[in-house]
Amino acid sequence: MPRKRATKTRATIGLDLLNFFIAGEQTGFGPFVAVYLTARQWTQVEIGFALSLGTITAMVSQVPAGLLVDALRSKRVAVAAGILAVGISALLLAIWPALLPVLTSQVLHGFASCVLTPGIAAVSLELVGHATLGERIGRNARFAALGNGLSAGAMGLLGSYVSEQSVFLLTAALCVPALATLPFIDAKPPPPPRRAATRRARWSELVALLTDRRLLMFAACAALFQLADAAMLPIAAGELTKQKGTHAALVIAACILAPQAVVALLSPWVGRTAELRGRRPMMLLGWASLPLRGVLFALLPNPYLLVAVQSISGVGAAVFGVMLPVIADDVTRGARRFNLCIGIFSLAGTAGGALSTTLAGLLADLAGDRVAFLGLAAAGLAGTALVWLAMPETGSSEASE
Amino acid sequence: MTVSRVSLIVPLLLLTAAAPAAPPSATAPGLPPTVMLQTFSPRDAMSVLGHPVVDADGRTIARLIDVLVDPNGQPVAAVLDFGGFMGVGIRRIAVFWSTLRFESGAGTHRIILTLTQDQYQAAPEYRDPEKPAPVVVPVAPEPKPGQQ
Repeated sequence: MPRKRATKTRATIGLDLLNFFIAGEQTGFGPFVAVYLTARQWTQVEIGFALSLGTITAMVSQVPAGLLVDALRSKRVAVAAGILAVGISALLLAIWPALLPVLTSQVLHGFASCVLTPGIAAVSLELVGHATLGERIGRNARFAALGNGLSAGAMGLLGSYVSEQSVFLLTAALCVPALATLPFIDAKPPPPPRRAATRRARWSELVALLTDRRLLMFAACAALFQLADAAMLPIAAGELTKQKGTHAALVIAACILAPQAVVALLSPWVGRTAELRGRRPMMLLGWASLPLRGVLFALLPNPYLLVAVQSISGVGAAVFGVMLPVIADDVTRGARRFNLCIGIFSLAGTAGGALSTTLAGLLADLAGDRVAFLGLAAAGLAGTALVWLAMPETGSSEASE
Repeated sequence: MTVSRVSLIVPLLLLTAAAPAAPPSATAPGLPPTVMLQTFSPRDAMSVLGHPVVDADGRTIARLIDVLVDPNGQPVAAVLDFGGFMGVGIRRIAVFWSTLRFESGAGTHRIILTLTQDQYQAAPEYRDPEKPAPVVVPVAPEPKPGQQ
Protein backbone atom coordinates (compact mmCIF):
# COMPACT_ATOMS: atom_id res chain seq x y z
CA MET A 1 0.00 0.00 0.00
CA PRO A 2 2.66 2.62 0.91
CA ARG A 3 4.53 1.57 -2.18
CA LYS A 4 1.48 2.19 -4.30
CA ARG A 5 1.08 5.57 -2.69
CA ALA A 6 4.70 6.41 -3.43
CA THR A 7 4.15 5.53 -7.09
CA LYS A 8 1.10 7.77 -7.12
CA THR A 9 3.02 10.64 -5.53
CA ARG A 10 5.80 10.22 -8.04
CA ALA A 11 3.29 10.30 -10.88
CA THR A 12 1.61 13.40 -9.43
CA ILE A 13 4.87 15.31 -9.18
CA GLY A 14 5.91 13.99 -12.59
CA LEU A 15 2.74 15.41 -14.13
CA ASP A 16 3.29 18.72 -12.31
CA LEU A 17 6.76 19.01 -13.82
CA LEU A 18 5.55 17.86 -17.24
CA ASN A 19 3.10 20.78 -17.30
CA PHE A 20 5.81 23.14 -16.05
CA PHE A 21 8.35 22.24 -18.73
CA ILE A 22 5.92 22.00 -21.64
CA ALA A 23 4.56 25.45 -20.84
CA GLY A 24 8.14 26.70 -20.70
CA GLU A 25 8.81 25.11 -24.07
CA GLN A 26 5.84 26.93 -25.59
CA THR A 27 6.73 30.40 -24.28
CA GLY A 28 9.26 31.32 -26.97
CA PHE A 29 6.79 30.68 -29.77
CA GLY A 30 4.22 33.35 -30.47
CA PRO A 31 5.04 36.99 -31.17
CA PHE A 32 8.71 36.51 -30.34
CA VAL A 33 9.22 34.46 -33.52
CA ALA A 34 8.62 37.65 -35.52
CA VAL A 35 11.24 39.53 -33.47
CA TYR A 36 13.74 36.75 -34.02
CA LEU A 37 13.17 36.49 -37.76
CA THR A 38 13.40 40.28 -38.12
CA ALA A 39 16.79 40.10 -36.44
CA ARG A 40 17.78 37.38 -38.92
CA GLN A 41 17.08 39.81 -41.79
CA TRP A 42 13.76 38.36 -42.78
CA THR A 43 11.41 40.73 -44.57
CA GLN A 44 8.00 41.48 -43.09
CA VAL A 45 6.25 39.74 -45.98
CA GLU A 46 8.19 36.51 -45.37
CA ILE A 47 7.58 36.72 -41.62
CA GLY A 48 3.87 37.28 -42.16
CA PHE A 49 3.75 34.25 -44.44
CA ALA A 50 5.60 31.99 -42.00
CA LEU A 51 3.45 33.02 -39.03
CA SER A 52 0.22 32.64 -40.99
CA LEU A 53 1.31 29.17 -42.02
CA GLY A 54 1.78 28.31 -38.34
CA THR A 55 -1.64 29.69 -37.39
CA ILE A 56 -3.38 27.92 -40.24
CA THR A 57 -1.67 24.63 -39.38
CA ALA A 58 -2.79 25.00 -35.76
CA MET A 59 -6.38 25.62 -36.86
CA VAL A 60 -6.51 22.82 -39.39
CA SER A 61 -4.94 20.24 -37.11
CA GLN A 62 -6.92 20.76 -33.88
CA VAL A 63 -9.60 18.23 -34.78
CA PRO A 64 -7.37 15.65 -36.55
CA ALA A 65 -4.87 15.83 -33.67
CA GLY A 66 -7.70 15.19 -31.22
CA LEU A 67 -8.80 12.16 -33.25
CA LEU A 68 -5.20 10.94 -33.40
CA VAL A 69 -4.75 11.15 -29.62
CA ASP A 70 -8.08 9.35 -29.17
CA ALA A 71 -6.88 6.57 -31.45
CA LEU A 72 -3.49 6.12 -29.79
CA ARG A 73 -3.45 3.59 -26.97
CA SER A 74 -0.60 5.22 -25.09
CA LYS A 75 -1.27 8.90 -24.51
CA ARG A 76 2.22 9.26 -23.11
CA VAL A 77 3.69 8.39 -26.51
CA ALA A 78 1.59 11.16 -28.05
CA VAL A 79 2.86 13.64 -25.47
CA ALA A 80 6.47 12.51 -25.97
CA ALA A 81 6.16 12.96 -29.73
CA GLY A 82 4.65 16.41 -29.21
CA ILE A 83 7.46 17.49 -26.88
CA LEU A 84 10.09 16.25 -29.33
CA ALA A 85 8.43 17.99 -32.27
CA VAL A 86 8.30 21.32 -30.40
CA GLY A 87 11.96 20.85 -29.46
CA ILE A 88 12.91 20.15 -33.07
CA SER A 89 11.01 23.16 -34.34
CA ALA A 90 12.81 25.38 -31.82
CA LEU A 91 16.16 23.93 -32.86
CA LEU A 92 15.37 24.49 -36.55
CA LEU A 93 14.57 28.14 -35.83
CA ALA A 94 17.73 28.58 -33.80
CA ILE A 95 20.31 26.98 -36.07
CA TRP A 96 18.85 27.17 -39.57
CA PRO A 97 16.68 30.25 -40.04
CA ALA A 98 16.25 29.85 -43.81
CA LEU A 99 12.86 29.79 -45.51
CA LEU A 100 12.21 26.06 -45.73
CA PRO A 101 13.41 25.10 -42.22
CA VAL A 102 11.40 27.93 -40.67
CA LEU A 103 8.25 26.95 -42.56
CA THR A 104 8.83 23.33 -41.50
CA SER A 105 9.29 24.51 -37.94
CA GLN A 106 6.02 26.45 -38.04
CA VAL A 107 4.05 23.49 -39.37
CA LEU A 108 5.67 21.08 -36.92
CA HIS A 109 5.02 23.38 -33.97
CA GLY A 110 1.43 24.05 -35.03
CA PHE A 111 0.62 20.36 -35.21
CA ALA A 112 2.60 19.39 -32.09
CA SER A 113 0.77 21.97 -29.99
CA CYS A 114 -2.53 20.49 -31.11
CA VAL A 115 -1.34 17.07 -29.92
CA LEU A 116 0.06 18.32 -26.61
CA THR A 117 -3.08 20.01 -25.24
CA PRO A 118 -5.35 16.95 -25.49
CA GLY A 119 -2.40 14.67 -24.76
CA ILE A 120 -1.71 16.21 -21.35
CA ALA A 121 -5.41 16.20 -20.51
CA ALA A 122 -5.67 12.53 -21.51
CA VAL A 123 -2.65 11.56 -19.40
CA SER A 124 -4.20 13.44 -16.47
CA LEU A 125 -7.52 11.65 -16.93
CA GLU A 126 -5.74 8.29 -16.94
CA LEU A 127 -3.95 9.21 -13.74
CA VAL A 128 -6.84 10.48 -11.59
CA GLY A 129 -10.07 9.36 -13.26
CA HIS A 130 -13.24 11.38 -13.79
CA ALA A 131 -14.07 12.14 -10.18
CA THR A 132 -11.14 14.41 -9.38
CA LEU A 133 -10.22 15.52 -12.91
CA GLY A 134 -11.15 19.13 -12.16
CA GLU A 135 -8.73 19.33 -9.28
CA ARG A 136 -5.97 17.71 -11.33
CA ILE A 137 -6.52 20.04 -14.30
CA GLY A 138 -6.36 22.96 -11.86
CA ARG A 139 -2.99 21.68 -10.71
CA ASN A 140 -1.87 21.31 -14.33
CA ALA A 141 -2.82 24.93 -14.99
CA ARG A 142 -0.93 26.08 -11.88
CA PHE A 143 2.31 24.43 -12.95
CA ALA A 144 1.87 25.49 -16.57
CA ALA A 145 1.46 29.10 -15.42
CA LEU A 146 4.60 28.83 -13.28
CA GLY A 147 6.54 27.36 -16.20
CA ASN A 148 5.22 30.00 -18.55
CA GLY A 149 5.94 32.91 -16.20
CA LEU A 150 9.43 31.78 -15.25
CA SER A 151 10.52 31.03 -18.79
CA ALA A 152 9.00 34.29 -20.09
CA GLY A 153 11.19 36.11 -17.57
CA ALA A 154 14.27 34.08 -18.41
CA MET A 155 13.72 34.31 -22.18
CA GLY A 156 13.05 38.04 -22.00
CA LEU A 157 16.43 38.50 -20.32
CA LEU A 158 18.17 36.12 -22.74
CA GLY A 159 16.63 37.85 -25.75
CA SER A 160 17.67 41.30 -24.52
CA TYR A 161 21.12 40.60 -23.14
CA VAL A 162 22.43 37.48 -24.89
CA SER A 163 20.83 36.93 -28.29
CA GLU A 164 17.48 36.23 -29.88
CA GLN A 165 18.83 32.86 -30.91
CA SER A 166 19.50 31.80 -27.31
CA VAL A 167 15.75 31.94 -26.62
CA PHE A 168 15.15 29.07 -29.02
CA LEU A 169 18.17 27.15 -27.79
CA LEU A 170 16.69 27.30 -24.26
CA THR A 171 13.33 26.24 -25.71
CA ALA A 172 14.92 23.23 -27.37
CA ALA A 173 16.82 22.37 -24.19
CA LEU A 174 13.59 22.40 -22.15
CA CYS A 175 12.44 19.41 -24.16
CA VAL A 176 14.91 17.21 -22.25
CA PRO A 177 13.49 17.68 -18.72
CA ALA A 178 9.96 17.58 -20.17
CA LEU A 179 10.64 14.14 -21.67
CA ALA A 180 12.37 13.00 -18.48
CA THR A 181 9.17 13.43 -16.46
CA LEU A 182 7.21 10.98 -18.61
CA PRO A 183 8.54 7.68 -17.18
CA PHE A 184 7.34 8.75 -13.72
CA ILE A 185 3.76 9.17 -14.86
CA ASP A 186 2.95 5.48 -15.16
CA ALA A 187 -0.79 5.58 -14.93
CA LYS A 188 -2.70 2.46 -15.76
CA PRO A 189 -4.76 3.03 -18.87
CA PRO A 190 -8.46 2.76 -18.02
CA PRO A 191 -10.38 -0.33 -19.07
CA PRO A 192 -11.38 0.01 -22.70
CA PRO A 193 -14.51 2.15 -22.78
CA ARG A 194 -17.69 0.69 -24.10
CA ARG A 195 -17.52 0.98 -27.80
CA ALA A 196 -20.29 0.76 -30.27
CA ALA A 197 -19.90 -2.54 -32.08
CA THR A 198 -20.83 -1.70 -35.62
CA ARG A 199 -19.56 1.00 -37.82
CA ARG A 200 -23.03 2.48 -38.15
CA ALA A 201 -23.49 2.62 -34.39
CA ARG A 202 -20.11 4.28 -34.03
CA TRP A 203 -21.09 6.79 -36.66
CA SER A 204 -24.34 7.64 -34.91
CA GLU A 205 -22.41 8.00 -31.66
CA LEU A 206 -20.16 10.55 -33.34
CA VAL A 207 -23.12 12.43 -34.79
CA ALA A 208 -24.74 12.44 -31.35
CA LEU A 209 -21.56 13.97 -29.91
CA LEU A 210 -21.23 16.59 -32.62
CA THR A 211 -24.84 17.71 -32.18
CA ASP A 212 -24.69 17.63 -28.39
CA ARG A 213 -26.04 20.94 -27.12
CA ARG A 214 -23.41 21.11 -24.36
CA LEU A 215 -20.60 20.72 -26.89
CA LEU A 216 -21.99 23.33 -29.27
CA MET A 217 -22.69 25.81 -26.48
CA PHE A 218 -19.27 25.50 -24.90
CA ALA A 219 -17.58 25.80 -28.32
CA ALA A 220 -19.50 29.03 -28.91
CA CYS A 221 -18.62 30.30 -25.42
CA ALA A 222 -14.94 29.43 -26.01
CA ALA A 223 -14.92 31.30 -29.33
CA LEU A 224 -16.46 34.40 -27.74
CA PHE A 225 -14.02 34.18 -24.82
CA GLN A 226 -10.98 34.26 -27.10
CA LEU A 227 -12.60 36.85 -29.35
CA ALA A 228 -12.79 39.16 -26.34
CA ASP A 229 -9.50 38.17 -24.74
CA ALA A 230 -6.80 37.69 -27.38
CA ALA A 231 -6.36 41.28 -28.59
CA MET A 232 -6.57 43.03 -25.22
CA LEU A 233 -2.94 42.60 -24.13
CA PRO A 234 -1.39 43.48 -27.50
CA ILE A 235 -3.41 46.70 -27.73
CA ALA A 236 -2.74 47.65 -24.11
CA ALA A 237 0.97 46.91 -24.55
CA GLY A 238 1.12 48.97 -27.75
CA GLU A 239 -0.53 51.84 -25.88
CA LEU A 240 2.09 51.46 -23.12
CA THR A 241 4.96 51.70 -25.59
CA LYS A 242 3.33 54.78 -27.08
CA GLN A 243 3.18 56.50 -23.69
CA LYS A 244 6.38 55.28 -22.07
CA GLY A 245 8.60 54.52 -25.03
CA THR A 246 11.21 51.82 -24.62
CA HIS A 247 10.90 52.05 -20.82
CA ALA A 248 7.56 50.30 -21.23
CA ALA A 249 9.28 46.94 -21.72
CA LEU A 250 9.41 46.29 -17.97
CA VAL A 251 5.76 47.20 -17.50
CA ILE A 252 4.81 44.94 -20.41
CA ALA A 253 6.83 42.15 -18.81
CA ALA A 254 4.81 42.70 -15.63
CA CYS A 255 1.62 42.57 -17.71
CA ILE A 256 2.71 39.13 -18.95
CA LEU A 257 3.97 37.75 -15.65
CA ALA A 258 1.32 39.04 -13.20
CA PRO A 259 -1.59 37.14 -14.81
CA GLN A 260 0.47 33.95 -14.71
CA ALA A 261 0.87 34.42 -10.95
CA VAL A 262 -2.92 34.83 -10.67
CA VAL A 263 -3.47 31.66 -12.72
CA ALA A 264 -1.00 29.75 -10.53
CA LEU A 265 -2.80 30.87 -7.38
CA LEU A 266 -6.35 30.45 -8.61
CA SER A 267 -6.45 27.38 -10.87
CA PRO A 268 -6.56 24.62 -8.21
CA TRP A 269 -9.40 26.47 -6.46
CA VAL A 270 -11.25 26.80 -9.77
CA GLY A 271 -10.90 23.05 -10.37
CA ARG A 272 -12.08 22.10 -6.86
CA THR A 273 -14.96 24.56 -6.85
CA ALA A 274 -16.12 23.37 -10.26
CA GLU A 275 -16.30 19.85 -8.82
CA LEU A 276 -18.18 20.93 -5.69
CA ARG A 277 -20.52 23.62 -6.96
CA GLY A 278 -20.74 22.96 -10.66
CA ARG A 279 -19.24 24.40 -13.83
CA ARG A 280 -21.62 27.26 -14.44
CA PRO A 281 -20.65 29.49 -11.48
CA MET A 282 -16.98 29.20 -12.40
CA MET A 283 -17.68 29.89 -16.06
CA LEU A 284 -19.72 32.97 -15.18
CA LEU A 285 -16.84 34.24 -13.05
CA GLY A 286 -14.28 33.73 -15.82
CA TRP A 287 -16.35 35.03 -18.70
CA ALA A 288 -17.64 38.05 -16.74
CA SER A 289 -14.04 39.11 -16.05
CA LEU A 290 -13.67 39.91 -19.78
CA PRO A 291 -16.15 42.79 -20.13
CA LEU A 292 -14.89 44.15 -16.79
CA ARG A 293 -11.30 44.18 -18.06
CA GLY A 294 -12.25 45.68 -21.42
CA VAL A 295 -14.17 48.55 -19.83
CA LEU A 296 -11.40 49.23 -17.30
CA PHE A 297 -8.80 49.32 -20.11
CA ALA A 298 -10.99 51.76 -22.02
CA LEU A 299 -11.47 54.04 -19.01
CA LEU A 300 -8.13 54.04 -17.21
CA PRO A 301 -5.51 56.43 -18.54
CA ASN A 302 -2.67 55.50 -16.18
CA PRO A 303 -0.29 52.97 -17.74
CA TYR A 304 0.77 51.56 -14.37
CA LEU A 305 -2.80 50.62 -13.54
CA LEU A 306 -2.71 48.54 -16.73
CA VAL A 307 -0.72 45.89 -14.88
CA ALA A 308 -3.45 45.62 -12.25
CA VAL A 309 -6.15 45.44 -14.92
CA GLN A 310 -4.23 42.91 -16.98
CA SER A 311 -3.90 40.76 -13.84
CA ILE A 312 -7.66 40.25 -14.06
CA SER A 313 -6.94 38.23 -17.20
CA GLY A 314 -5.48 35.61 -14.85
CA VAL A 315 -8.99 34.94 -13.52
CA GLY A 316 -10.31 34.36 -17.02
CA ALA A 317 -7.29 32.31 -18.06
CA ALA A 318 -7.54 30.08 -14.98
CA VAL A 319 -11.23 29.42 -15.58
CA PHE A 320 -10.84 28.89 -19.32
CA GLY A 321 -7.84 26.59 -18.92
CA VAL A 322 -9.57 24.42 -16.33
CA MET A 323 -13.07 24.34 -17.80
CA LEU A 324 -12.07 23.35 -21.34
CA PRO A 325 -10.83 19.81 -20.52
CA VAL A 326 -13.29 19.37 -17.65
CA ILE A 327 -16.31 20.10 -19.84
CA ALA A 328 -14.86 17.94 -22.62
CA ASP A 329 -14.80 15.13 -20.07
CA ASP A 330 -18.39 15.88 -18.99
CA VAL A 331 -19.60 15.78 -22.57
CA THR A 332 -17.77 12.62 -23.63
CA ARG A 333 -17.87 10.51 -20.49
CA GLY A 334 -17.93 6.87 -21.45
CA ALA A 335 -17.35 7.57 -25.11
CA ARG A 336 -13.87 7.45 -26.54
CA ARG A 337 -13.98 10.99 -27.90
CA PHE A 338 -12.44 13.04 -25.12
CA ASN A 339 -9.56 14.37 -27.21
CA LEU A 340 -11.69 15.04 -30.27
CA CYS A 341 -13.89 17.16 -28.05
CA ILE A 342 -10.88 19.08 -26.70
CA GLY A 343 -9.77 19.59 -30.31
CA ILE A 344 -13.16 21.05 -31.24
CA PHE A 345 -13.13 23.41 -28.25
CA SER A 346 -9.55 24.49 -29.00
CA LEU A 347 -10.44 25.09 -32.64
CA ALA A 348 -13.34 27.32 -31.58
CA GLY A 349 -11.00 29.21 -29.25
CA THR A 350 -8.21 29.58 -31.83
CA ALA A 351 -10.66 30.86 -34.43
CA GLY A 352 -12.05 33.41 -31.96
CA GLY A 353 -8.54 34.52 -31.06
CA ALA A 354 -7.48 34.95 -34.68
CA LEU A 355 -10.59 37.00 -35.38
CA SER A 356 -9.99 39.06 -32.23
CA THR A 357 -6.69 40.61 -33.30
CA THR A 358 -8.00 41.33 -36.81
CA LEU A 359 -11.28 42.92 -35.70
CA ALA A 360 -9.76 44.86 -32.78
CA GLY A 361 -6.97 46.10 -35.05
CA LEU A 362 -9.58 47.39 -37.52
CA LEU A 363 -11.56 49.05 -34.73
CA ALA A 364 -8.40 50.65 -33.30
CA ASP A 365 -7.46 52.01 -36.72
CA LEU A 366 -10.93 53.40 -37.34
CA ALA A 367 -11.85 54.77 -33.96
CA GLY A 368 -8.96 54.42 -31.52
CA ASP A 369 -7.86 52.05 -28.81
CA ARG A 370 -10.70 52.89 -26.41
CA VAL A 371 -13.36 51.90 -28.89
CA ALA A 372 -11.40 48.71 -29.63
CA PHE A 373 -11.38 47.85 -25.92
CA LEU A 374 -15.13 48.52 -25.69
CA GLY A 375 -15.69 46.30 -28.72
CA LEU A 376 -13.74 43.49 -27.08
CA ALA A 377 -15.70 44.07 -23.86
CA ALA A 378 -18.93 43.74 -25.86
CA ALA A 379 -17.76 40.36 -27.19
CA GLY A 380 -17.00 39.33 -23.61
CA LEU A 381 -20.43 40.48 -22.51
CA ALA A 382 -22.02 38.43 -25.29
CA GLY A 383 -20.01 35.42 -24.10
CA THR A 384 -21.12 35.98 -20.50
CA ALA A 385 -24.73 36.25 -21.63
CA LEU A 386 -24.38 33.01 -23.58
CA VAL A 387 -23.00 31.24 -20.50
CA TRP A 388 -25.79 32.69 -18.34
CA LEU A 389 -28.69 31.97 -20.70
CA ALA A 390 -27.75 28.95 -22.79
CA MET A 391 -24.83 26.98 -21.32
CA PRO A 392 -26.21 23.94 -19.50
CA GLU A 393 -24.63 22.74 -16.26
CA THR A 394 -22.58 19.79 -17.41
CA GLY A 395 -21.40 18.60 -14.03
CA SER A 396 -24.60 18.74 -11.99
CA SER A 397 -25.74 15.17 -12.58
CA GLU A 398 -22.34 13.98 -11.38
CA ALA A 399 -22.41 16.25 -8.33
CA SER A 400 -25.87 15.05 -7.28
CA GLU A 401 -25.01 11.41 -7.71
CA MET B 1 25.54 22.97 -68.36
CA THR B 2 23.99 26.12 -66.88
CA VAL B 3 23.86 24.57 -63.47
CA SER B 4 27.58 23.87 -63.32
CA ARG B 5 28.35 27.41 -64.48
CA VAL B 6 26.32 28.94 -61.69
CA SER B 7 27.94 26.73 -59.10
CA LEU B 8 31.32 27.93 -60.37
CA ILE B 9 30.47 31.59 -60.20
CA VAL B 10 29.23 31.55 -56.64
CA PRO B 11 32.46 30.36 -55.02
CA LEU B 12 34.41 32.77 -57.19
CA LEU B 13 32.23 35.64 -56.05
CA LEU B 14 32.68 34.57 -52.46
CA LEU B 15 36.43 34.35 -52.89
CA THR B 16 36.63 37.81 -54.36
CA ALA B 17 34.46 39.28 -51.65
CA ALA B 18 36.45 37.61 -48.91
CA ALA B 19 39.91 38.57 -50.16
CA PRO B 20 40.88 41.70 -48.24
CA ALA B 21 43.60 42.78 -50.62
CA ALA B 22 41.40 42.44 -53.69
CA PRO B 23 41.41 45.48 -55.99
CA PRO B 24 38.18 47.48 -55.92
CA SER B 25 37.28 46.35 -59.40
CA ALA B 26 38.27 43.41 -61.50
CA THR B 27 37.09 41.35 -64.40
CA ALA B 28 36.00 38.02 -63.16
CA PRO B 29 36.26 34.93 -65.33
CA GLY B 30 32.81 33.67 -66.26
CA LEU B 31 31.22 37.11 -66.19
CA PRO B 32 30.19 38.61 -69.54
CA PRO B 33 32.38 41.59 -70.64
CA THR B 34 29.47 43.99 -70.23
CA VAL B 35 29.82 43.93 -66.45
CA MET B 36 32.69 44.00 -64.04
CA LEU B 37 33.04 43.08 -60.42
CA GLN B 38 33.46 45.74 -57.80
CA THR B 39 33.94 44.99 -54.13
CA PHE B 40 32.45 47.17 -51.40
CA SER B 41 33.58 46.76 -47.84
CA PRO B 42 30.85 46.86 -45.21
CA ARG B 43 32.21 50.30 -44.44
CA ASP B 44 31.14 51.56 -47.86
CA ALA B 45 27.96 49.56 -48.27
CA MET B 46 26.27 48.35 -45.12
CA SER B 47 23.46 45.89 -44.67
CA VAL B 48 20.65 47.56 -42.73
CA LEU B 49 17.66 45.20 -42.75
CA GLY B 50 17.09 43.82 -39.26
CA HIS B 51 19.89 45.98 -37.88
CA PRO B 52 19.55 47.36 -34.32
CA VAL B 53 19.11 51.12 -33.98
CA VAL B 54 20.61 52.95 -31.00
CA ASP B 55 19.82 56.32 -29.46
CA ALA B 56 22.33 59.11 -28.88
CA ASP B 57 23.46 57.40 -25.67
CA GLY B 58 24.18 54.16 -27.48
CA ARG B 59 21.24 52.19 -26.02
CA THR B 60 19.48 49.87 -28.41
CA ILE B 61 15.95 51.21 -28.87
CA ALA B 62 14.64 49.76 -32.11
CA ARG B 63 15.29 47.61 -35.12
CA LEU B 64 15.27 48.77 -38.73
CA ILE B 65 12.79 46.61 -40.62
CA ASP B 66 12.14 48.39 -43.90
CA VAL B 67 13.26 51.31 -46.04
CA LEU B 68 10.84 53.49 -48.01
CA VAL B 69 12.32 54.91 -51.22
CA ASP B 70 11.21 57.58 -53.68
CA PRO B 71 10.69 56.95 -57.43
CA ASN B 72 14.45 57.37 -57.95
CA GLY B 73 15.22 54.69 -55.43
CA GLN B 74 16.56 57.20 -52.92
CA PRO B 75 15.70 56.39 -49.29
CA VAL B 76 12.96 58.62 -47.85
CA ALA B 77 12.15 56.98 -44.56
CA ALA B 78 13.14 54.07 -42.35
CA VAL B 79 10.53 51.86 -40.71
CA LEU B 80 11.58 51.03 -37.15
CA ASP B 81 10.18 48.55 -34.60
CA PHE B 82 10.27 50.09 -31.12
CA GLY B 83 9.95 48.56 -27.67
CA GLY B 84 8.03 45.53 -26.54
CA PHE B 85 8.77 42.51 -24.41
CA MET B 86 9.05 39.09 -26.07
CA GLY B 87 7.39 40.61 -29.14
CA VAL B 88 4.40 42.02 -27.25
CA GLY B 89 3.79 45.76 -27.44
CA ILE B 90 6.04 46.59 -30.39
CA ARG B 91 5.26 49.92 -32.08
CA ARG B 92 6.17 50.38 -35.73
CA ILE B 93 7.04 53.98 -36.62
CA ALA B 94 8.48 55.46 -39.82
CA VAL B 95 11.13 58.17 -39.40
CA PHE B 96 12.66 60.47 -42.02
CA TRP B 97 15.80 58.93 -43.48
CA SER B 98 18.03 61.88 -42.56
CA THR B 99 17.25 61.41 -38.85
CA LEU B 100 19.44 58.30 -38.98
CA ARG B 101 23.20 58.47 -38.75
CA PHE B 102 25.28 55.56 -39.97
CA GLU B 103 28.57 54.86 -38.26
CA SER B 104 30.71 52.10 -39.59
CA GLY B 105 33.99 51.34 -37.95
CA ALA B 106 36.15 48.26 -37.98
CA GLY B 107 33.74 45.39 -37.44
CA THR B 108 31.14 47.55 -35.74
CA HIS B 109 28.33 49.24 -37.59
CA ARG B 110 25.86 51.40 -35.77
CA ILE B 111 22.66 53.05 -36.83
CA ILE B 112 21.94 56.04 -34.61
CA LEU B 113 18.54 57.68 -34.40
CA THR B 114 19.07 61.38 -33.77
CA LEU B 115 15.47 61.99 -32.70
CA THR B 116 14.67 61.99 -28.99
CA GLN B 117 12.00 59.76 -27.55
CA ASP B 118 9.62 62.70 -27.11
CA GLN B 119 9.91 63.45 -30.78
CA TYR B 120 8.82 60.11 -32.14
CA GLN B 121 6.92 58.09 -29.55
CA ALA B 122 3.53 59.73 -29.97
CA ALA B 123 3.66 59.30 -33.75
CA PRO B 124 0.93 57.17 -35.35
CA GLU B 125 1.96 53.63 -36.19
CA TYR B 126 3.10 52.66 -39.65
CA ARG B 127 0.79 49.79 -40.56
CA ASP B 128 0.01 49.34 -44.21
CA PRO B 129 2.59 49.71 -47.03
CA GLU B 130 -0.29 50.30 -49.44
CA LYS B 131 -1.50 53.40 -47.62
CA PRO B 132 0.16 56.83 -47.22
CA ALA B 133 2.86 56.41 -44.56
CA PRO B 134 2.99 58.70 -41.52
CA VAL B 135 6.67 59.69 -41.27
CA VAL B 136 8.29 61.65 -38.42
CA VAL B 137 10.14 64.51 -40.14
CA PRO B 138 12.15 66.99 -38.06
CA VAL B 139 11.22 70.63 -38.50
CA ALA B 140 14.21 72.68 -39.62
CA PRO B 141 15.91 74.13 -36.50
CA GLU B 142 15.48 77.76 -37.58
CA PRO B 143 12.33 78.07 -39.64
CA LYS B 144 11.91 81.22 -41.66
CA PRO B 145 9.54 83.71 -40.06
CA GLY B 146 5.97 83.08 -41.00
CA GLN B 147 6.68 79.52 -41.97
CA GLN B 148 6.23 76.94 -39.25
